[in-house]
Amino acid sequence: MSKRIASTVTGAMALTVLFFALSGEVLADNAGGNGGLEVVPVTAGQVLEAVRGSGERVVLVNVWATWCSPCLEEFPELVKLQRNYAGKGLRVIFVSADFAEEVDGVYEFLAKQGVDFRTYLKTGNDEDFINALNPGWSGALPATLVFDSGGRLVNFSEGKASYEKFEQMVLDVLGE
Amino acid sequence: MSRMKSVAALGLVLLVSAASLAGEGIAIGETALKTDVKMKNIDGEMVSIADVRGEKGVLVIFSCNQCPWVKGWETRMAALGNKYQEKGIGVIMINSNDPAVSSEDSFEVMQKRAAQRGFEFAYVVDADSSMARAYGAKVTPEAFLFDASGKLVYHGTIDDNMRDESAVTKRYLRDALKSVAMGQDVAVQETKSLGCSIKFRKTE
Repeated sequence: MSKRIASTVTGAMALTVLFFALSGEVLADNAGGNGGLEVVPVTAGQVLEAVRGSGERVVLVNVWATWCSPCLEEFPELVKLQRNYAGKGLRVIFVSADFAEEVDGVYEFLAKQGVDFRTYLKTGNDEDFINALNPGWSGALPATLVFDSGGRLVNFSEGKASYEKFEQMVLDVLGE
Repeated sequence: MSRMKSVAALGLVLLVSAASLAGEGIAIGETALKTDVKMKNIDGEMVSIADVRGEKGVLVIFSCNQCPWVKGWETRMAALGNKYQEKGIGVIMINSNDPAVSSEDSFEVMQKRAAQRGFEFAYVVDADSSMARAYGAKVTPEAFLFDASGKLVYHGTIDDNMRDESAVTKRYLRDALKSVAMGQDVAVQETKSLGCSIKFRKTE
């Protein structure tokens, strides 16, 4: 009888541990995994924290806005890139420069694009934001910043880009 | 990461930084470029920076029709341009966008916009985007203010609140223009804000 209880308790403990282990993974992955579409207000410092904490080999940050037509035109290419390189070491981080009052439009656009992961909304002063991410950036949108696993800026591009260009910026870091 | 990869990555970062800072563009204290290049003005005349330069200096603003950030600041730019042209600072607004990429940046819309906003200064077409490239201009709007001696004393944005004029706390361009008109030093010489990337015409 005690043996059965022991094994039941052990089994229950094992399942509990497994449950928490899996939950932990889901929560940790929420920052970039398919935890659902989110638009989280951030400072540039917080964007860099998300870059450094991604755990991925390469992080591509794209700064865009619903009022920026070249941003909207290149957007699907970045969604496609994230899909193609999911599990291959790439995290794509979208940061919208829309105003807080326009966040509904941001959600609407992202949902239409099939974005089902966390994204960000810039807060605070423009100049501080621009210079914190890259002092060499003019502030023009769209802007794409590619960081390595150490959070160092390795590649940068401003203005609309193609899938091939985004891919090459990422492959430069993945070392292929 | 291996030593080789670290060196390569560092090299890449330096290259990216260097490319951003060196080569093209005009630094504070340097003189204007391509001042004799004639560009088509909204009244059909060919006009250069030298043609509009005033005795107190010249303001060159890279702008366009299409960008929502330009639109937000446009009445302020018109007011500043018109006012300081009267005070002896020449003003020229340059559109370097490729209308094939940005259809709203056609010459006809430039004319309409200038009329709507009451521009009393030149608004010209940078027909091959070479002016923007020479100046290192990347975003609209982007202002370059040169003083009476021809040196760049201010480079950057209009003010710190595109969205709400009543909430502006720092009138960067106005303060710079005021200083230059009085022959004084400009306190804040370089600023940045978000804006639209210039739609450069292809070089071929």
